[in-house]
Amino acid sequence: MDFLFYIFSSLTLVSGALVIQARNPVHSVLFLILVFFNAAGLLVLLGLDFFALLFLVVYVGAIAVLFLFVVMMLNIRISEISEKRLRYLPVGGVLAVLFLFEICILIDNDLIPLLSYNIENTELLANYNQLSFIDWRMFLSTSHTIDALGSLLYTYYFYFFLVASLILLVAMIGAIVLTMQKGIRIKRQQVFLQNTRDFAKTIRKVA
Amino acid sequence: MYEYLGILIYFFIALALSLLLLGLPFVVSTRKADPEKISAYECGFDPFDDARGRFDIQFYLVAILFIIFDLEVAFLFPWALTLNKIGFFGFWSMMLFLLILTIGFVYEWRKGALDWS
Amino acid sequence: MNILIFSIVLKILALTVPLILSIAFLVLAERKVLASMQRRKGPNVVGIYGIFQPIADGLKLIVKEPVLPSSANLVIFLFAPVLTFLLSQVAWASIPFGEGIVLADIHVGLLYVFAISSLGVYGIITAGWSSNSKYAFLGSCRSAAQMVSYEVSIGLILITVCICAGSLNLTEVVLAQTQIWYCIPLFPLLVMFFISCLAETNRAPFDLPEAEAELVAGYNVEYSAMGFALFFLGEYANMIVMSSLCCIFFLGGWLPPFDFAIFYWIPGIFWFSLKVVFFLFAFIWVRAAFPRYRYDQLMRLGWKVLLPLSLAWVIYVAGVLLCFDWLA
Repeated sequence: MDFLFYIFSSLTLVSGALVIQARNPVHSVLFLILVFFNAAGLLVLLGLDFFALLFLVVYVGAIAVLFLFVVMMLNIRISEISEKRLRYLPVGGVLAVLFLFEICILIDNDLIPLLSYNIENTELLANYNQLSFIDWRMFLSTSHTIDALGSLLYTYYFYFFLVASLILLVAMIGAIVLTMQKGIRIKRQQVFLQNTRDFAKTIRKVA
Repeated sequence: MYEYLGILIYFFIALALSLLLLGLPFVVSTRKADPEKISAYECGFDPFDDARGRFDIQFYLVAILFIIFDLEVAFLFPWALTLNKIGFFGFWSMMLFLLILTIGFVYEWRKGALDWS
Repeated sequence: MNILIFSIVLKILALTVPLILSIAFLVLAERKVLASMQRRKGPNVVGIYGIFQPIADGLKLIVKEPVLPSSANLVIFLFAPVLTFLLSQVAWASIPFGEGIVLADIHVGLLYVFAISSLGVYGIITAGWSSNSKYAFLGSCRSAAQMVSYEVSIGLILITVCICAGSLNLTEVVLAQTQIWYCIPLFPLLVMFFISCLAETNRAPFDLPEAEAELVAGYNVEYSAMGFALFFLGEYANMIVMSSLCCIFFLGGWLPPFDFAIFYWIPGIFWFSLKVVFFLFAFIWVRAAFPRYRYDQLMRLGWKVLLPLSLAWVIYVAGVLLCFDWLA
């Protein structure tokens, strides 16, 4: 299993580097798809098969398809892209250092404690016995990941779930607002009217 | 997770098989490249211009709509599995989710985004 | 570990070799059945009743010259048919032929099958684009948009089956149908799933992007010899996968029609093959019987008819099962 981990992670890193290296934008998207595949493989090694397949369905099957459609249809001149590469190095370098710094902060857990109970707050301490805690161990120990996720997401954490639906709604409306212009309203076929047309009324004598 | 090892091995065997099938004509048959044969097909003429000219907005809209409904299906998977455990509360929270997405769908329908012009 | 890998390789060979044979004979069967429906005989020259026709076709495709178009991106051009064929093979990993007769008994088998059919779009997009031909590219984009549109209703129908069965594991889905097959309470869903499968595999009457008379065979116009053969094999393997999925989800997999002991004397694999053959015949029958859908009619069907209907069925089935407490 170690061998597989090394293969998947090294392929992920190499493909990720090739995404930005590739001169042809379609090649970049294809390398991005390779990154997603290898990330899904890493998730399977972690035992999260639901998320691995969800990566394949959503990322590779939907999002990368959208990228491919857009990139393939836009006629991007390759010569223009390779001219300006080195100009982005200072700004890109600053951003990369910032991200590295943030990741190092996160890994050092003492800076961001998980529980921030303020023990000096006596009011909270008085009501401590009335707080109800969910015994996650008993709740989740015998379930597969997807059962555990389902039991929690739609009941205890349903606010976040509904926020997700609002995000999807905004995406739908945004896509239409951005792309639909007045010119697209052309004459369309009304299939229902065509199917329910009364045959007796279609032909009549004129003279 | 050992079942996925089977899938990985199957992937490699199928890849080897298809590469074998693909490589066979290169080995077996004669190859003579002729400029007429290897040019792109356009009813007997030379191609008029570069293959990617126009951008049809409909494909972009279909892809975005597909992402949204695919995510809806992805949210429906764990819900469908644990419906007996989450009871009516879980059912109604999902119904609210579907109602919000249905509002978006009706908006699209009325705007004509689902018609292929 | 080595024994595990060896046994997996044996199982894969036991799965792949009959699959390729069955694809080859499915091609012949389609031509013969279409011919019978059109009151003529199909190929009957090559062997008795044309039995050796697929072998002759295969040999012809092997000795044809592989033409690589000058302006194509070679690696992607050659990779597209490989991808199509690969995905149609890998989908067989989680399909159960009997109790415990499955290559990889994944806990989320249904989701795996959905993922593989989602990935099927790539073979077509990359083929169309890498051919660098206007017709191929347009055909492939339309074909991809069609596949993607019917993917949603397939997903929603799978959700309904999952609610009824209580599990994503395909073996459990089949075992949940021991009392009654799902085609009886969920018959409209079977019809919708079959239609979506037809659209998903680009079969008639939804084969506008690849029809011979339109756009000159669409996205694979630049392919010859084995590239074309791999696309063809991939399409028929997809057809067989979709038929076996219809059979697993709605017709009870390897289970006999009635739950009596006498029916279990016939092995489950025989029942499974019978049902798959029935669905393949239905695929071919639909091709012979119906005229082709125009592209905008096809997209209208996918988005405005099948999607709301399958969503309504999800809500209906979930509501009914929850209210009467019939959940698995």
